[in-house]
Amino acid sequence: MKNRLRSHVDALATAVSRLTKSPMTFFYPDYEEDKPYGYRGVILYSNEKCIGCSLCAQICPARALKMYRVPGDKRLRPGYDLGRCIFCGLCTDICPTDALELSSVHDKVFDSLESMVMDPVDWTLWSRKVRGEEMARGRKMRVWIDEDKGLRYEEVR
Amino acid sequence: MASAVSPGMEVRRIGGSQDGRVIELYIGAQHPASGHMRLIVYLDGDVIVRVDPDIGYVHRTMEKLAETREYVRVISLLERMTIIDSCNITLPYVEAVEKLLGVEPPPRARYLRTILCEINRIASHLYGLGIGGIFLNHSTMYMWAFGDREVFLHLASLLTGARLTHTYSVFGGVRRDLPRLFIDEFSKAKRYMLKRLRDYDKLFFNNPVIRGRLEGVGVLKPQRAVELGVTGPNLRASGVRYDARLTGYAAYGELDFKPVVGKEGDALERIWVRLREIEVSLDLIEQAIRSLPEGPIFHERFTKTIPPAVRHWLAKGRIKLPGGYVRLKTRPGEVFTRAEMGHGEVTYYLVSDGGIKPYRLRVVTPSARNVVLFDELARGHTLMDLPAIYGSLDYFPPEADR
Amino acid sequence: MSPVSWLSSHLGLPDWLLRPILAPLVYPGLLAFMPVALFIIWAERKVTARVQMRVGPLYVSRRLGGVLQLLADGVRIAFQEVIVPETAEKYSFMLAPIAAFSLVAATFTVVPGGPGVYGFDSNISLLIAYALISLSPIVTVVMGWASNNKFSQIGAGREIIVSIAGEVTLLASLLAAAMMYGSMSFNAIVEAQNDAGIPGIVANPVAALLFFIAVLLITDRVPFDLVLGEQEIVQGPYTEYTGILFALTMALDYAKLYVLMLMFTNVFLGGWMPFNTPLIGSLCVFTKTLVLMLISVFLRSVYGRMRLDQVAYLFWARLLPLALAAFSLSAVMHFLYR
Repeated sequence: MKNRLRSHVDALATAVSRLTKSPMTFFYPDYEEDKPYGYRGVILYSNEKCIGCSLCAQICPARALKMYRVPGDKRLRPGYDLGRCIFCGLCTDICPTDALELSSVHDKVFDSLESMVMDPVDWTLWSRKVRGEEMARGRKMRVWIDEDKGLRYEEVR
Repeated sequence: MASAVSPGMEVRRIGGSQDGRVIELYIGAQHPASGHMRLIVYLDGDVIVRVDPDIGYVHRTMEKLAETREYVRVISLLERMTIIDSCNITLPYVEAVEKLLGVEPPPRARYLRTILCEINRIASHLYGLGIGGIFLNHSTMYMWAFGDREVFLHLASLLTGARLTHTYSVFGGVRRDLPRLFIDEFSKAKRYMLKRLRDYDKLFFNNPVIRGRLEGVGVLKPQRAVELGVTGPNLRASGVRYDARLTGYAAYGELDFKPVVGKEGDALERIWVRLREIEVSLDLIEQAIRSLPEGPIFHERFTKTIPPAVRHWLAKGRIKLPGGYVRLKTRPGEVFTRAEMGHGEVTYYLVSDGGIKPYRLRVVTPSARNVVLFDELARGHTLMDLPAIYGSLDYFPPEADR
Repeated sequence: MSPVSWLSSHLGLPDWLLRPILAPLVYPGLLAFMPVALFIIWAERKVTARVQMRVGPLYVSRRLGGVLQLLADGVRIAFQEVIVPETAEKYSFMLAPIAAFSLVAATFTVVPGGPGVYGFDSNISLLIAYALISLSPIVTVVMGWASNNKFSQIGAGREIIVSIAGEVTLLASLLAAAMMYGSMSFNAIVEAQNDAGIPGIVANPVAALLFFIAVLLITDRVPFDLVLGEQEIVQGPYTEYTGILFALTMALDYAKLYVLMLMFTNVFLGGWMPFNTPLIGSLCVFTKTLVLMLISVFLRSVYGRMRLDQVAYLFWARLLPLALAAFSLSAVMHFLYR
């Protein structure tokens, strides 16, 4: 009986003591997480480095990458279906020339399902756009692990 | 001969023999607290007569799909079975293929795999505890567990670059080296988590209301647990000392590891085992970091064929895959591997005919083995005990359905 | 001159007729209940969120911290289509929530919300309030039955078991209090406490505790929310309700909580003590009630749900014997309020 009462008091006290602490979350659309080094976001493509070896299309587990024939180009070039991409990053690992690289964004909005399927030309242009945006993005928060609060957020300037 | 029995016929049979006393209750298929599975519960008054777990809502033909893909592409496929525990579930597959390839991963890679596996296990246990909490309408435990799981997902994303589907272990090693930041962040996370576990004990585990719900509910005797082939924390809570980590795969053989074994076998004990296993996992990660050997993280056979243009990545702690990695040929043969996931033991049986794709891949997941417990444990309890039992089992539908 | 007599002289209606209309409709009744519900549900979500390391409702009216979230939800629900299932008993299905809510609203006629702010005064107003409150579970059972859904019926069955257990305890604690004060009229009870200068909770904490726990059960608060039982039986007796009818069933529990906590304030916290003017006294009662409601909703972040047999055991085997203690304590403490 005494123990039960004690446990009740303990449980209540634990909940009450939590009231003084600030939340663990942060305001996502207002701030954005500054992703750690090597974060696997959407795949970016540099047309000039690509040698058209098609290894990326072979290793892609989700068949998000497909080789396209581009007019005026002898080699096959990869196209990207963002709707299918699972962000495993295997294509960037196997690419022999660093033509594919990881970005730190994955929250991209598209008007339609069709616009998520990008042929090599679209993908090159889109990659340039994303690279530019990555540089000039809004307010960012760096996540640190904290002994007291679990996660701590620090604004990146 | 087996005959198809539809649920409706069954209730007519049981109900008819007891003057229509038994009603059937469909819980699911979109369950308010867990994934997609349906429980068909037969109730006599408030007492459960029988439970039919209606599985298969998230069946994705993993085994068949694996036969149509090259070995390396299967890894990210298999992860989708248990997205919350993705390193543990792919590790035995990777080891199986490594055995067929005749490749032994370097020691550092084995330790890194162990670290990620344990991070995954903690995240998976926290997920299970959270689900167990919300089943009893303890929303604070739910939110706390999911919030603290975020810490470990962050650790995993530091190590692998992804929060859930890491695709970290590949044949011959791992894909990323341990960042220097990780060690510091982990020691903070460990101290934080140990503190939180005491809070969990106070608010959830020792909470009289919760104890009342869980104590003596769904008792599983050790003998019966072994007969049913139950696995994981549910087995150990019954007092059976079995943990696949004791077989010493990855780096477990070199670390000081004692499995957490319970005694009572009731729902409370199953929750207790999970809570204590988090402590053990934290300790294991610390041990692994302390005794982390220096050296390469990827097997030499693959590193030497990496094109020179991209070799600079190796110094930056990332590996590059050689061109031949997609169409790896294994020697013909059969391999059987196992690993301990957060939910229990997963076993793989891989048959190769010497081609570039698995000839046959058989997966037995822990949730598929634990699903028998629904009927076994719930019989004779009241309807209100069913969530307590469900919550204590840490059942994960996509994993059981494969 | 009180606002009621001012209004009655302007409308040409007698005072005794106007009071029972104003009390349930304006204060302490429904008009006051709207902001109370808005605030309490917001506070419940906000406080729970705080304990759970979250932020809680925010984006509707960000400057006010998301207070208007419930208003937005209410507007959405009000314009939602009301679906009546084919297999349901149409009339009882639709009328039951309205009837239940009206019953609770009628309770406000006897519970005073301040000095001189009441519908009508009676020697047995305590019993009238109790009777009206304990009628609403019957309507809830009608809801569950009329829905013709297994979850609703199981929920209705739970409501029967739970409400009987809860109401016996509630009545026992109320009678213990009445015995202590020697009266069953709310006004007389408050006056007795005012005269003695000692609130009932000090004189008889056992009865107050019993009342509080019974209120938690009757209004489906955690840890006794097993009638709703979201994880097992969806929404209990209210499973099939949609739109405005669902909003009524939701508001029902909060209205009950409000009126019962108002009763708690009057019976155990000395009502408008230490103020005696209508306006400030009413505010005092209102604030005490709000604080009590906050305490009861805070428990959501501490406890889970108790099992049916445990609830029945707790109330019949643990709390009912405690009620005897409350009675004997009342007998001793009676001298205070003579």
